[in-house]
Amino acid sequence: MKAETFGVKIRVPVQNDSTSWRKKASCAVVLALMLAFAPSGTAAENLKTESRMPFLHHIPLRDAEGRMISLPPLFDAQGKPQDAAANPYSPAQTCGKCHEYDIIGRGWHFNSAKDDIKPGRPGEPWILTDPVTRTQIPLSYRGWAGTFKPAEIGMNDFDFVTTFARHLPGGGVGEPPKDKIDANDVRMRRFLVTGAMEIDCLICHDSSGHYDHDSRFRAMGMENIRWAPSIAAGLGTLGFAKSGKAAADQWRPPDPVPANPPLLKYDRARQGMENHTTFNVARQRLASSCYYCHTAESRTGDARWHSDNDVHIRAGMSCVDCHRNSVDHMVVRGYEGELGNRAVNAGMVEWRAKLIRRNDAAVSEADAKRLAEQQAKDEMGMVETLTCRGCHYGSGCGKSAAVRMGGRLGAPEPVHKGLPPIHLEKLSCTACHSGPFPGEAAGAVHTSLAHKLGLPAPARTDNTPPVIVQPVFLRGQDGRIAPHRMVWPAYWGHLNQGKVTPLLPAEVSKLARAKFPMLTSADMMRDPYNSKPLTGEQITGVLGALAGDAAKGQPVFVAAGKLYRLDNGKLVSEEHETAKPYAWPLAHDVRPASQSLGVRSCADCHSTDSPIYFGTVTARVPVEAGNAVTKQMWALRGDNKTLAATFAFTFRFRPMLKYVSFGSAFVILAVLLAFGLAGLYSLLNNRDPHKQKKA
Amino acid sequence: MKTDKHILGTPMQSSLLALVSWQNLAYILMLFGAVALAVTGLGTLVFGKVSMSGWVLMLHASAAPAFAIGLALVALTWAGHSCAGAEDSLPDRAASLLFWLILASGLVVILSGVAPMTPLCGTNGQRTMVSVHYYGALLLTIAVALHVFSLVAAKRRGIGV
Repeated sequence: MKAETFGVKIRVPVQNDSTSWRKKASCAVVLALMLAFAPSGTAAENLKTESRMPFLHHIPLRDAEGRMISLPPLFDAQGKPQDAAANPYSPAQTCGKCHEYDIIGRGWHFNSAKDDIKPGRPGEPWILTDPVTRTQIPLSYRGWAGTFKPAEIGMNDFDFVTTFARHLPGGGVGEPPKDKIDANDVRMRRFLVTGAMEIDCLICHDSSGHYDHDSRFRAMGMENIRWAPSIAAGLGTLGFAKSGKAAADQWRPPDPVPANPPLLKYDRARQGMENHTTFNVARQRLASSCYYCHTAESRTGDARWHSDNDVHIRAGMSCVDCHRNSVDHMVVRGYEGELGNRAVNAGMVEWRAKLIRRNDAAVSEADAKRLAEQQAKDEMGMVETLTCRGCHYGSGCGKSAAVRMGGRLGAPEPVHKGLPPIHLEKLSCTACHSGPFPGEAAGAVHTSLAHKLGLPAPARTDNTPPVIVQPVFLRGQDGRIAPHRMVWPAYWGHLNQGKVTPLLPAEVSKLARAKFPMLTSADMMRDPYNSKPLTGEQITGVLGALAGDAAKGQPVFVAAGKLYRLDNGKLVSEEHETAKPYAWPLAHDVRPASQSLGVRSCADCHSTDSPIYFGTVTARVPVEAGNAVTKQMWALRGDNKTLAATFAFTFRFRPMLKYVSFGSAFVILAVLLAFGLAGLYSLLNNRDPHKQKKA
Repeated sequence: MKTDKHILGTPMQSSLLALVSWQNLAYILMLFGAVALAVTGLGTLVFGKVSMSGWVLMLHASAAPAFAIGLALVALTWAGHSCAGAEDSLPDRAASLLFWLILASGLVVILSGVAPMTPLCGTNGQRTMVSVHYYGALLLTIAVALHVFSLVAAKRRGIGV
């Protein structure tokens, strides 16, 4: 899909007639060189370097219409200085000139709302958080059980995009087709003014370290969606120009869409010869690029120096060494069983065939499809080789023998001395090797997506909403116990016929703002995230204020594992299906073998106080501690406590079992040796020891 | 098998005293353990489960010491009487052979059962141990069953095993 402009007329500065003859001459030279070195009949965008060395991206910028951006000269005809003002660059048009933008748009980071993509293993949701109303709602377009689709809570795509733009890479719901936008939808129609949120390739692929996420965040906050990629890349600024938000606010259909969006003021220093710009990009991204969105920090406060981070990163690897992708950007998530969620579909075959035919027009369409299907199947086989087991043990999948053998990237084969193999069937690798070493209780963790990590903000604490805890040992889809992160939904809503419909924070504020505790400036200084729990009286007050429309159902507050409602004016609470937590497996940071669970002894897990069975998980905030649900891990897994406790208890006798077994074996061996040697001796001397004995 | 001892009760000495002799007690202990292990171990296989877990595993591990101690005592108390001579009858020779087979396979089963609980073997070694344990246990179960059968048959013949 090429970038949509939604009918916006974009002003393009026209090259001044006074362009020097040198410039024209140099253009001609470049063109001649390109024609000389390019294979005849091959368009520039179809060229490939086929080298492992990254290609220097010294390229022309293009606007959303696909036109090359040419900055006006420094001085006009009258010799007056001119601003380097032009339309913002469009990643879809600029990068998409050579790279398959629409194919990339099917990638895992952009495809959450596509119907033909399987959701796969539950992953981290977006969490709609509002400190005032104590709302924290897990959202996902993928439909993972326990999450809400934005539309289910009355949130449209535009609001979703602008709410989470800070960490959304663009594409997907940020690029609604123009004909799908309802001009009567006061929120969605804003896309027509602010522009689509194209995939910003530089978020991941910039390797200069100069990509400015904070500027992008602020630009998105002003709904300067179309301009944000240029601003974040440091190409220019909007200055004091009117924001996209202001323009969208002022637009009143059926008036035509504002035709003169503000121009970006480019930094001329970034523009090289022939209006080309150099981008320092790399296919192999650094871990730091991924960490902007995928940091999970369990050592809250300023204690990062205590952490060793992931052992693979420390060993010199990068995230993308395992989480690989082809041009379709279907990043390997790296869990076992992923293959089942990545079946070859018609769409994949189609784009591959398209690429094959692009590279070799002589291939027939049917042959290209056959070849494409085979390629896709071969690549699927590689997916399982990039799991923990696939790398460290080898996998039955994979086209080449080398990947089937394991040891990819020098991964050592685990020895697991003293660990009965049944553990490899019952536990995921991550159970022993990933996340913080488990303690008596699951602890708080901050993640980029939930806590806006990567952006400057007051220090986040354990109670900063949304409260996510880890490690919680649950059974995954494959039945193996694995560490998870867990968040409890918290929201106000209406209970109608057993179903709770959440209310958006704005609606709650509108109806019951006065019922929430007001924060003084001193409170704000001390607790900027308003993490103080609500009291029973406060909950009662808000529920009373929400009771206006009986047709919607009974007002309820879902929080910390319970559902609160008023019964004859009295606040009652109960554990409820809708209050159940949402959990997703964690895989990082991976600890070294010497810090794995069980390395000290079996008692790491098989004892009557082991975290994996008897560690506690508490649903903290937004209600007072005594009201929150607290459960042990065995209960969350649905295990039998008696069995777990008894089994753990038997490990007290495990040393005795070993002594008895080895002692008995020694006695038996001694008898066997004694009689065996005696028999052998008799046999060699042709004597019957039994006869001798009788004699 | 020698017939001059009161193992499992001779016709003449089927008294309680004979039953509680060291040989009998050892054999009964070993037999009790073997049956419990066979039921839990082979039962798991029969019910189509690849590996044992939960209550069954605990029962299996609890019966293991009884079997190990019983087998060691059987080795000490029975070995001297289980050396078949050239003039012994075929059933006696078979019983004798089965006895030594029980000891040998029992040793293998015990060691392959306990070795995975120690840091002696890695994953591959442990898997080998588990396989050895399976097949050793199967052999042991058959040997014990045949041995019991031979003893019962001998008793019926009035040989007074």
